[in-house]
Amino acid sequence: MKKIIVNDLKYKYPLAQTLALKGLSFSVEAGEFIGIVGENLSGKSTLCQALVGLVPHFFKGAYGGSVVVSGIEVATSEIAELALKVGLVFQNPFTQVTGSKLTVYEEIAFGLENVGIDREEMKDQIDQALHLLDIYKFKDRNPFDLSGGQMQRMAIAGIIAMRPEILVLDEPTSQLDPQGAEEVFKAIQKLSKEGMTVIMVEHKMEKIAQYSDRVMLLHQGEIIDFDTPGKVFSRADLMGYGVNAPIFTQICKGLGAQNQTNALYPVTLDEAYAAVVKTGHE
Amino acid sequence: MKSLSLFVEKDTTIHRMNPISKIIYVFAAIVIPMLIGNHASALLVALLSFMLLLWAQVFRKVIPLMGFSILILFSIVVIQGMYKEGNHTPLFTLGSIVFYQEGIWFSAEICLQVLNMLEAFSLLVLTTKPPDLIESLVSKGLSPKFGYVLSSVLQIIPQMATTMETIIDAQRSRGMKMEGNLLTRIRAFFPLIGPVVMTSLISVKERTMALEVRCFTSKRKKTFLNVQQVTLQDKIFQGIMAICVAGSLLWRFVR
Repeated sequence: MKKIIVNDLKYKYPLAQTLALKGLSFSVEAGEFIGIVGENLSGKSTLCQALVGLVPHFFKGAYGGSVVVSGIEVATSEIAELALKVGLVFQNPFTQVTGSKLTVYEEIAFGLENVGIDREEMKDQIDQALHLLDIYKFKDRNPFDLSGGQMQRMAIAGIIAMRPEILVLDEPTSQLDPQGAEEVFKAIQKLSKEGMTVIMVEHKMEKIAQYSDRVMLLHQGEIIDFDTPGKVFSRADLMGYGVNAPIFTQICKGLGAQNQTNALYPVTLDEAYAAVVKTGHE
Repeated sequence: MKSLSLFVEKDTTIHRMNPISKIIYVFAAIVIPMLIGNHASALLVALLSFMLLLWAQVFRKVIPLMGFSILILFSIVVIQGMYKEGNHTPLFTLGSIVFYQEGIWFSAEICLQVLNMLEAFSLLVLTTKPPDLIESLVSKGLSPKFGYVLSSVLQIIPQMATTMETIIDAQRSRGMKMEGNLLTRIRAFFPLIGPVVMTSLISVKERTMALEVRCFTSKRKKTFLNVQQVTLQDKIFQGIMAICVAGSLLWRFVR
């Protein structure tokens, strides 16, 4: 079942000279984990915003084509209604804190209060989100007293509590230290295993390669490739699009060590180890 | 966490009261002495507020506020005591300065009114969590957007102050002199205010988007995690306050 259908999506920001998105077409199946990679200004964040309706409802400008998420046409639906189907987590955890609540528990309730969820149901959904993101122990803390990683997990919990079918994450670990980033990745992996459709923009290629079912390579608003991590990161012209392959892939390319099964370069540690052993470089 | 909130966490009956009851008390405490218009009523309400502050175990927090106000009130007493129009009955003299009974009496009324307001508002803000107060008002019809502005400002302003400190440190590390005479400080102001304003604008944009994706602009009827119960005591209290205000109004017309 297709959760996202994007057809010939074009978008130009107000006052901009060029299109940020140049006729993107793709679809995503339910439960897939999609990684989006590309250099700066390749259109990654704009695409995320288009999936949740910020483009074209919040950011005006020239918009064409169609985006359908969970059967809802984005251009003709309100952001508040779309948010119940697709959630977006931004890169800066600090600006995602509403600032109007005194505890983590109340902060997570914010979205649920806005859509009029019954109080008992609300508590149930908050508890589940807190446990899922492993932040239940912080529920009585002030949101601004959390570390970056904890705060980002709280932001994800605030979105997850609303039970969206799709979770879009725009560089959720870019402002976090390695430990904070790891906490967030583990949480997202958990959600993915629960069956949630995940779209994640990220510059940590090792993580993208490890978790993604498919990787979308964007460049100047166009889809260059949308395939398995192995195929995308094995591309000889990858660097030309401002993207580095995962370190394991780079080492294996240097050694000429390919996967035994598909003749592609390994993208994860396990694959790399197997390929290196196979080619006798141990 | 730095916050502009003055709320003092205690478990007292006053803390547990519905915020609307406390707002009604603030209204009554200000309006009743004005309607009755004598010093005794103002003094009585001030004493009542004083006792309620003691009961709520927050009186110590009011002392600094009172200390600040006393300075201003003292100047009112001096000026009115000496120069109020209609002063003609000397009360006492300090050297060659004469203080008049009419002026002192009038300034005492002002002082009691200010004291009343100070105590009543202190009772409200020191014993009520800002989100509870705002949510009560929103549930009574206040615009959620206005409510959000009121409640978020208490935490976001300290956050902006932290951002400003970071920017000051960054500019200082680049060799900019931030301390010194007035001219140095004026020179330092502009390289400081630019990044502060830009950072704030970016934060506002990002926070607005974050609120959007959390259905802040939803047209659905809001619900609240923390429902402020209106207990029987609240109803009785609100009823008493209504009777007191109505009685004062009647007194005003009948007198």
